[in-house]
Amino acid sequence: MKALVVYPNKEALYAASTLGEYAALAVGDAELKAAEGAPVVYNVRGDPRDLGLRISAVLQLAGQYDVIIMPSLKETKTIGGYMSQKLNAPFITDVVSLRAEGGKLLVERYVFGNKATASLRANVPAVLTIAPGKFLGEPPKASTKVVELSPQSAGLFRIAGVEPKASGGVRIEEAEIIVSVGRGFKKKEDLAMAFDLAKALGGQVGCSRPIAADLKWLSEDHWVGLSGHKVRPKLYLAIGISGQPQHIAGILDSRIIAAINNDPNAPIFQYADYGVVEDLYKIVPILIRKAAELKK
Amino acid sequence: MKIAVLVKPALDTSQLRVKEGRVVIEETPLKINDIDRNAIEEAIKLKGNDKAYAISVLKWPPLQKRIQEAENLLREALAMGLDEAYLVADEGLIGSDQSATAKAIAAVINKVGADLVLAAEASIDNYTGQVPPRVAAELGWPLITYARELRVEGGKAIAKRDLEDSVETAEAQLPAVVSVTREINQPRIPTLLAIRAAMKKPVNKLTLADLGIKPDVKVELVGYKPVVIQRKRVIIKDGTPEEKADKLLQYLRQEGVI
Ligand SMILES: Cc1cc2nc3c(=O)[nH]c(=O)nc-3n(C[C@H](O)[C@H](O)[C@H](O)COP(=O)(O)OP(=O)(O)OC[C@H]3O[C@@H](n4cnc5c(N)ncnc54)[C@H](O)[C@@H]3O)c2cc1C
Repeated sequence: MKALVVYPNKEALYAASTLGEYAALAVGDAELKAAEGAPVVYNVRGDPRDLGLRISAVLQLAGQYDVIIMPSLKETKTIGGYMSQKLNAPFITDVVSLRAEGGKLLVERYVFGNKATASLRANVPAVLTIAPGKFLGEPPKASTKVVELSPQSAGLFRIAGVEPKASGGVRIEEAEIIVSVGRGFKKKEDLAMAFDLAKALGGQVGCSRPIAADLKWLSEDHWVGLSGHKVRPKLYLAIGISGQPQHIAGILDSRIIAAINNDPNAPIFQYADYGVVEDLYKIVPILIRKAAELKK
Repeated sequence: MKIAVLVKPALDTSQLRVKEGRVVIEETPLKINDIDRNAIEEAIKLKGNDKAYAISVLKWPPLQKRIQEAENLLREALAMGLDEAYLVADEGLIGSDQSATAKAIAAVINKVGADLVLAAEASIDNYTGQVPPRVAAELGWPLITYARELRVEGGKAIAKRDLEDSVETAEAQLPAVVSVTREINQPRIPTLLAIRAAMKKPVNKLTLADLGIKPDVKVELVGYKPVVIQRKRVIIKDGTPEEKADKLLQYLRQEGVI
């Protein structure tokens, strides 16, 4: 099968290479660099934020490819839906496994708040986004042939401004140890305990949705869950988090889940390897001290 | 301003039924997709003296039972303040891919008219977020996704788009399709009076034939498998906080994660 990678990164290029022949579309220099090593790279000069430009480029190339593969991002979900309708093609997001069989694509994705996987057999042409961390191979390195392309933007909207988001400077998806905080913390200042514990353990601080979205005690890069970041640390330590399904959906790939909650009936204990029933205000200071001692 | 709101009767995933290792879709109840309530709230704020209506497409079997269930859910949307609802129910849409869903929605919009289409960024059951872009493509209208703020001024929709690392200000000429996030507003809870009034508002049922659309399946479902969560579920509940902390750290060291 022939695949075209849009928003090229290593995982998407690798996923494409497992299907056969592949090419990448790059808008702007950063993507041109990311696509290096792909046998063919279509180079579009223009604003990487211009979704209409990308859509036009893909629609122009689509006839030559069976499948379009992108990383899972808000922008790829936006253009993916739009292009799929124009191509009369299926659009399958957050794919966790992928192979070609008898001219069709066999894919799996999580559904129902990550409580089940769906296995699907899709006709080509098809458009896919792949979940992070599921296609971790090395794409073969070819000498790249660059083809210049100058499409007309389909113009979905006009960009009147861009502001970077406040950031806590974490890349929570990449953290090996996450100390995650929920509404069990009563005041913003109390989160200092979680940062101290994370520091003692050599980890990062994550949080449930209310902490980032409603209370705004932490920036959104800390937010874990269905609508936040999906994480896969060695250790996920949930403190004062009840364990609602939308939170759990983001932590399923953790190796060990531990939880501290003062309610013995908190649902989080159903999803944890180790659960401690205790007031976080009593136990976290002790854990900070003991974890720091362990390090010595 | 006339507004169409996409309201999905979604599977209530918090009540997902699993029997003998199988997901039983037919017995899992439906609910209004949570984020759709934010789209409804935004529509009520923006509609002015014009009307705002719901469009729902049924995707989950069994059709007959679901029609009644969806109608009850649509009463909730009407009680929040929408003026009427269109429910597209057809065997051809059950298990179809979203291309047919988008065609059905676009057909209702072409029939009833709209200056603005509001939808949720995604639905809780499948979480793909593809229907709003598909509807925009089908209608040939501008599209703004992931709006966390929205206003309409001088015939334009102006929104803050909530992306991973940045917030974009986007402007699009109406008519347009806009998908919203949960952060955009706080959906209202209808009063008893509004709930009673909603009983009299129209819920119009349509089939694919009414809309002149033929179903067509490009993705075949091989099956659903429940994700079995195998966690050790060791509970530490006895002893002083000091002792509990020791136990926890001991376990975590045994696992080799600290
Ligand atoms: C469409 C949708 C998407 C969503 N996406 C996400 C998402 O991505 N991420 C997410 O997290 N949520 C998400 N949610 C929200 C989710 O449903 C829950 O509301 C949220 O996860 C609850 O956060 P919490 O556990 O911090 O708070 P709560 O549910 O209020 O839990 C607080 C917990 O702290 C415990 N506690 C209180 N005091 C103490 C103490 N002194 N010591 C120890 N424990 C204590 C309590 O027993 C309780 O279990 C989403 C919801 C919807 C509808």
